[in-house]
Amino acid sequence: GQEFRFGHCRVQGVELQKLRKAFWTVKDTVQAQDHNTSVRLLRKEILQNVSDAESCYFIRSLLKFYLKTVFKNYYNKTTELQILRSFSTLTNNFIVIISKLQPSEENEMFSIIESAHRQFLHFQGAFKQLDTDAALTKAIGEMDILLTWMEKYYQ
Amino acid sequence: HIGEDASNLLQHVKFQSSNFENILTWDSGPGSTSDTVYSVEYKTYGESKWLAKEGCQHVTRKSCNLTTETGNLNEFYYARVTAMSARGQTATMISHRFGLMQDTTIKPPDVTCIPKVRSVQMIIHPTSTPIHAEDGHQLTLEDIFQDLLYRLELRDNHTYKLHLEGKQREYEFVGLTPDTEFLGNIMIIAPYYSKESAPYMCRVKTLPDPTWT
Amino acid sequence: LADGVAVLPAPQNLSVHSANMKHLLTWSPVVVPGEIIYYSVEYQGEYEILYLSHLWIPSHWCSSTKGPQCDITDDITATVQYNLRVRATLGSQTSAWSTLEHPFNRNSTILTPPKIKVTKDGFHLVIELEDLGPQFEFYVVYWRNEPGAKEHVQVVKSGGIPVHLETMEPGARYCMKAQTFVKAIERHSAFSQAECIEVQGDAL
Repeated sequence: GQEFRFGHCRVQGVELQKLRKAFWTVKDTVQAQDHNTSVRLLRKEILQNVSDAESCYFIRSLLKFYLKTVFKNYYNKTTELQILRSFSTLTNNFIVIISKLQPSEENEMFSIIESAHRQFLHFQGAFKQLDTDAALTKAIGEMDILLTWMEKYYQ
Repeated sequence: HIGEDASNLLQHVKFQSSNFENILTWDSGPGSTSDTVYSVEYKTYGESKWLAKEGCQHVTRKSCNLTTETGNLNEFYYARVTAMSARGQTATMISHRFGLMQDTTIKPPDVTCIPKVRSVQMIIHPTSTPIHAEDGHQLTLEDIFQDLLYRLELRDNHTYKLHLEGKQREYEFVGLTPDTEFLGNIMIIAPYYSKESAPYMCRVKTLPDPTWT
Repeated sequence: LADGVAVLPAPQNLSVHSANMKHLLTWSPVVVPGEIIYYSVEYQGEYEILYLSHLWIPSHWCSSTKGPQCDITDDITATVQYNLRVRATLGSQTSAWSTLEHPFNRNSTILTPPKIKVTKDGFHLVIELEDLGPQFEFYVVYWRNEPGAKEHVQVVKSGGIPVHLETMEPGARYCMKAQTFVKAIERHSAFSQAECIEVQGDAL
């Protein structure tokens, strides 16, 4: 079956098409709430600078941020059932992914970890520059960018 | 995005994309007249500058080809239309966020069906797209959708179906009865993006078996 | 009774029966003679349990259902622990929630060997597998029924469609068996019983 290969991290048991379908059902609703079309959090430069070796560390930081900050706070903004259900599919599959990401922490990985973290901080920095609600909405609306990037590691 | 007055002159601004040919379309509103003119601008998501689309300024038609301007697979785009009525009323409406990979649909493939005595051969021709690689060469659908595959079905008149599926472009249904009519259906599938083309259909008849006469 | 007001009892004996990735939540019905009782089902995935424990999501199909059961397959969309709860409603009265004693994880589903139908058309060896839904792939093993024959394996992506396996030779006997594989839980079923078929001896 298919699996994610983020560098040397392997993740099975998650069907990326299901995540894309779940987001697809709410994409237009969420993106329509993002009126700031001049700012993109997951900028191309950030994603292109993440090397294969860094990808495991980067995706782990990013998904943790999405779970602990983005989804947690955005849930309070929505009572729309379809959004709740789609988010439940996304967040619970993100939990599966994170639980299976076991990056090595040996010393020689330090520079890679550092570099991956720097890319994550670029994203987080852009997030913090926006008003909270706008940032939450933009981050959720950019899930298709995140899923498209994850697809490169899905084989 | 939609102001109360805007929908009076303008409605349903959206991208319609097929095999990466990206056309912006819109509808007039109840308040617009035949001499209402429209101007199109576009931009990459994350950029601040809107760019005017040459050839779609002050036009009366309600579509604009933005294929060239929205041709990067890794980008997302917005377009907006400004309507100006003869009475000086103006309205602007923005599209949804447009991404090529997720928003384009796939057209039926181009196929040559070749009947033989006991088989039917099917040759699927590559589908080129307006997308170019960094080195300039034109990309096909197979280049773009890594998981693209073809699903072929051959049905005789007794609703019996033969199935073949794969990534290669040449197939042969073998072991068929001579001098019999078959209907072929060939579709392109990109599973990851849940895309499926309409089928290309060919009706063929296997050749009579000369050894039977 | 509570302060003299009839209180609707909460449903009891919640349990989940799961087979081939179809998950059915059942409970003992609340009985009020002459009345129709409706039930509401809600769920929490591991994320909601960890980060939003107050949040319960109404089941896709059973936000108000009569039968004492609910197909929760479309609610369970990740291979994590899920909490499930049910309550009864009669007019303006609603019972307390009853929560499933142990959280449910779909990786505990029972996978049965697939039903297979072997047919031939002329010299075509064709198999049709049970349609178990999009989460199932099938490994089909087939061989020519003679000493030392080599086993062939073919992955079939979906059931319910006749699949051409091989063009057979006259007079030969072919056998096959199949098992299911579910990517989402990374498990496969046992093999089905082998089935065989023979092609008449005279060539065309």
